[in-house]
Amino acid sequence: MVTATASDPISNTFAALADPTRRAILARLASGEASVTELAEPFEMTLPAVSKHLKVLERAGLIARGREAQWRPCRLQAGPLKDADEWIERYRRHWEESFDRLDSYLQELQQNEKKYSRKITKKEDKNGREN
Amino acid sequence: MAERTDAPMTAEERVLIVERVFDAPRELVWQGWTDPEQVMRWWGPKGFTSPACEIDLRVGGKYLWCMRTPQGQDFWNTGVYREIVLYERIVCTQSLADEKGNVVPGAHYGMSGDLPLETVVTVTFEEIDGRTRLVLRQEGIGDMLEGAEAGWNGAFDKLADSLPAA
Repeated sequence: MVTATASDPISNTFAALADPTRRAILARLASGEASVTELAEPFEMTLPAVSKHLKVLERAGLIARGREAQWRPCRLQAGPLKDADEWIERYRRHWEESFDRLDSYLQELQQNEKKYSRKITKKEDKNGREN
Repeated sequence: MAERTDAPMTAEERVLIVERVFDAPRELVWQGWTDPEQVMRWWGPKGFTSPACEIDLRVGGKYLWCMRTPQGQDFWNTGVYREIVLYERIVCTQSLADEKGNVVPGAHYGMSGDLPLETVVTVTFEEIDGRTRLVLRQEGIGDMLEGAEAGWNGAFDKLADSLPAA
């Protein structure tokens, strides 16, 4: 597994998300909190194996667990995910807004070209034929 | 168990794809990307301007684009062209830079963490009936995040309410 230190939460997030079982666990938790036993059910995994995944998710700050010793319900903790998404979104906004401007520029450019070619056409008419 | 499609993505899946159809022939859109004077007309989000732009359009050549915020702060980006197929495709790297074109970390611009190294941008141009479909792929944003410190967490007004509860 990728080693990630606590001082680098984003690495933790991505390392935690790199595993399909852990993503499935997160998807399950998106519909409400669940116990380790409940989480283990669909995966045909031993409880210790699931616990191991939960520890990774917990370290990454993706889930939080209740304090009760026996039944420690897990629930989703969305902070780190949102942070990662937010970067992608920043880039997306940057491009979308730049493309809006490129779009306006291209329209302007083509309108000017039309005007220009109309002028030429008029000139042609006046002079009879070409130029 | 019911499959949910909104399961979190892996870093590998975190490729940004932005698509846009421009009502202009492909050659014009291409020029808009490759002619510095034209890039300066659109580079940067709404309200920004672009006061400078240099492009050395050949494989291995560099570019240096500048955008200025409405408050007057300049941000420079640089990169190296990796692939150029006329009117069809441009692949280049993208990094933050200083005004001389030296790659700089995010801290240079007050972004916390030792951000960027680089991302890879692929732009494809496809002509459809006189219009142009442009697809931009940007890879490696996730990698940039891996170097980030906890500090920038606070930079984004705590958007972190919660994932959609079912």
